[in-house]
Amino acid sequence: MSIITPPETDQPEEPTARPMPTHRMKEYLSRSYVRRILIMAVIIMAITVALGWVVVGFMNMTGAPASDIMGDLEQTVLIFTIASAPLIAITLSTIFYSLIGWKHSSGDEPPMQDSPAIRTNAFAVIVWITATSLLAGFLVVWGLIELATITSNAYGSVSANQQPNDVKQIDINVTGQQWVWSFEYPDQQGITSDYLVVPVNTPLYFNLTSEDVIHDFWIVELGVKIDVNPGAITNTGVTPTKLGTFNIRCAELCGLHHAYMETKIQVVTQAEFDAWVRDKGGMKTA
Amino acid sequence: MSVTTAVFEQPAVLQPKQHGKPGGFLRHTNIFTGLAGGIVFAAVVYMIGSKLVPWGNQNEDFSQIGANALIAATMFAWVIGFMAGIGAFAGPIRWALGHDLTHDDAEYMAGKGQGKFRYWKYTTDHKVVGTQYFVMVLVLLGVGGFLAMLIRTELGWTWGELFDPNFYNSIIGTHGIVMVVSLIIVVTGPLGNFIMPIMVGARDMAFPRLNALSFWLLFAAVPPLLATLFMGGIRDGWSVYQPLATQAGMGMIGYQVLIIVFAYSTGVASVNLITTAVTMRARGMNWSRVPIFVIGIIASSVMGLIWFPMYQYSQALAMSDLILNSSFFNPVAGGSVWLYENLFWLLAHPEVYVIVVPATAGILELMTVFLRKPLFSYKLAIAGFAGVVGISAIVWVHHMYMTGFAPQVGYPFMLSTELISIPFGFLVLVALGTMWRGKVWTRLPMMCVYAVIWDKVIGGITGVYLSDVPVDQYMHGSMFVVAHFHFMLMGAGLFGAMACISYWFPKMCGRMLNERIGSIGFWVAFFGFQLTFFSMFVAGLQGMPRRVLQFDNAFNVSNWISTIGAYIIGIGMLIFLYAIITSWRGKTWAPANPWGAKTLEWQTSTPVPLENFPVLPVVTSDPYGYGVPDPYDAIERELAKDDNEAKVPQ
Repeated sequence: MSIITPPETDQPEEPTARPMPTHRMKEYLSRSYVRRILIMAVIIMAITVALGWVVVGFMNMTGAPASDIMGDLEQTVLIFTIASAPLIAITLSTIFYSLIGWKHSSGDEPPMQDSPAIRTNAFAVIVWITATSLLAGFLVVWGLIELATITSNAYGSVSANQQPNDVKQIDINVTGQQWVWSFEYPDQQGITSDYLVVPVNTPLYFNLTSEDVIHDFWIVELGVKIDVNPGAITNTGVTPTKLGTFNIRCAELCGLHHAYMETKIQVVTQAEFDAWVRDKGGMKTA
Repeated sequence: MSVTTAVFEQPAVLQPKQHGKPGGFLRHTNIFTGLAGGIVFAAVVYMIGSKLVPWGNQNEDFSQIGANALIAATMFAWVIGFMAGIGAFAGPIRWALGHDLTHDDAEYMAGKGQGKFRYWKYTTDHKVVGTQYFVMVLVLLGVGGFLAMLIRTELGWTWGELFDPNFYNSIIGTHGIVMVVSLIIVVTGPLGNFIMPIMVGARDMAFPRLNALSFWLLFAAVPPLLATLFMGGIRDGWSVYQPLATQAGMGMIGYQVLIIVFAYSTGVASVNLITTAVTMRARGMNWSRVPIFVIGIIASSVMGLIWFPMYQYSQALAMSDLILNSSFFNPVAGGSVWLYENLFWLLAHPEVYVIVVPATAGILELMTVFLRKPLFSYKLAIAGFAGVVGISAIVWVHHMYMTGFAPQVGYPFMLSTELISIPFGFLVLVALGTMWRGKVWTRLPMMCVYAVIWDKVIGGITGVYLSDVPVDQYMHGSMFVVAHFHFMLMGAGLFGAMACISYWFPKMCGRMLNERIGSIGFWVAFFGFQLTFFSMFVAGLQGMPRRVLQFDNAFNVSNWISTIGAYIIGIGMLIFLYAIITSWRGKTWAPANPWGAKTLEWQTSTPVPLENFPVLPVVTSDPYGYGVPDPYDAIERELAKDDNEAKVPQ
């Protein structure tokens, strides 16, 4: 909607040059509401980034991440928070400023005075589309790289000749049934247990299946989760890096006692693990 | 020199022969004959069926094949009997007899001269259908909300089991599906049917009888759903993953009947809404002058129309597993649980946008009124809706990252999931640009908009975490997901619908909504909502799985806070409901255009007459002509001086 300004004189208007973008930015920044919104945006951005750490803090109540995957996850959460903070900040500061900064009216009758007829603004639209697309592109690229890394660590997709020779992977067969977990160690003479004991810093490789309905195998502090399906075998893997006892829960509704379908995983030293295997009747591992 | 005048003669419209009184058979049918028909036909089918398939018939897995088949037949018989009793099949029968509808018949069916009783009949007037949907939605939301209170009571009761686990699991599932159904229709039902045809300047919907059909099908589908609570319940969440669903037995039949019938209802309604918006716009309302709310309704209906059949297939196949002993989803006999999950999420993800898109379009529409500003970048808004509709088709697997059915598909679906944030970003810019430098008229509908944008920001950033496959490995299936989708579906969907309802309430109900009580209710609910779901985020991050009734002591505090917050939501919603009911029964008559809006529905009188407009309107501009600067107005010129944006031509 262009403005028709009645000519002041009969003389033709002087042609004016289009202002440079830098000039336009300077002109924008000279407006008080733009400055205030930007200041608010910076504050909100700082709060958002701080909240990223709060999120990570709640994700890991036990201090340092307990596995390689968990470390990656926490890093991703922080990066995503920082990356999306500017857009969140602009959005929230604009709505806050709209409430407190620009004039408002109450009352039963519609206001007499209309607001400025801003139909569109090509500059703002282009900047916004570019910024959001770059942000989404960054998230995608980061996520794809991250996923590739985790998959190669976790699912054992690294080819055999690239496996470090000195680290032996431990296979564990997991069976879910309503409403217990059971574990079998095929490399340790097939000993079985209803809780997990694993050595620290050793890659674990899980083969999971279910006897009845879908369960979901979740080692909370290690950041591992995979559905356990009847009639199929799913796989996942992780390398625990911290000693301690962690929680295994079922994360897919599986019937009456779904809430109680949980057990523990003990991450112990190699010597303790060997002792446990002997106690269970298996032979000492290499 | 002679003057010639052309005379256009309008040929008389041939009226078919009037058979009997106007309305014919429909004069004798109403909701009570419908109930009677449904109950009688269901009873007859049950008695005949129990002779053919005895209740105790079991298959080799001891599934209740006989009972399931019997219950399914009875429930479908209820639906068919009800629809026959209320007169839904009168139209086709008339055609078969060669009795075409006359104008008098059509007017009778639209409820002319029947007073309040037309709300209890198979009435075709879109305003009646919209009002019926409105009441239905309020009832459904009340049921779902009550079940939510039960869930939170159990979760806040951390020192024991308050409910039997089976009952708890079934209230989770019932809460989920009742809320999903009511949120799908909460905007497109009441407002899409009542407001949208007036907004485009039509006299009624394109297919008035299909309109009545869509509402009464929904009505008929609700009793089977509620009956499940007494038949073993929906014990498997609203997603009813197989094969756990087969253990739930007869309760599942009610769910499947609901979905199969409801899918017809939404399909019929979607076709109707799309056709009305596309073909029945007023003269002069070209595609650049259509109000954005209409675009939102079209977008939502398109998604529903395309994807609801997938849901219907999944439930039809699951029902066949239960009553015909087939094994589509039974892995022991060669079926696949992953097939079910894919079919289910093919609808169930676009369904989220079916809920959020019309609410978003509605708040964009009302923002222009309360800010007295044109919509910022109308074309960008349309691009946003188009983008959401397009990409919504290819994101469903992000609900299945952790199912292990093909770990490699995580890559493309992570890509598409994160790309859908771009068209949503368009809509955010449209909202912010409309707000930019606008003087706000702080009435309830506009204040809801701020709340909705806040909720969308929270839901958006948590959605960014969940869209990432590795992070989802931690958060999938936890309370974090529950809090996230409540921010989107309730925070953006339901609160957005409350904004729309309080905006269009004067037109729909003819009275002003009591602003004071309504605002108190809304803000109490809003703050309770923040309390509930922020502490639920914390519980999820600490590792609390969803759909449990007992949990680790570490989650106690956040669950207590959540429960307190949930009760506050309940109180707020009851206050809002009280505002609606008292205002509706009150005598504060609304003027025709209380908000000073420029869309067509506010230009006709309130209450809206039978065919909406005495003379059909002709549209000459888009409805956002606010604040057009008058070059001879000194004040406006002063404003325009520092107004860079206004100089950019449209």
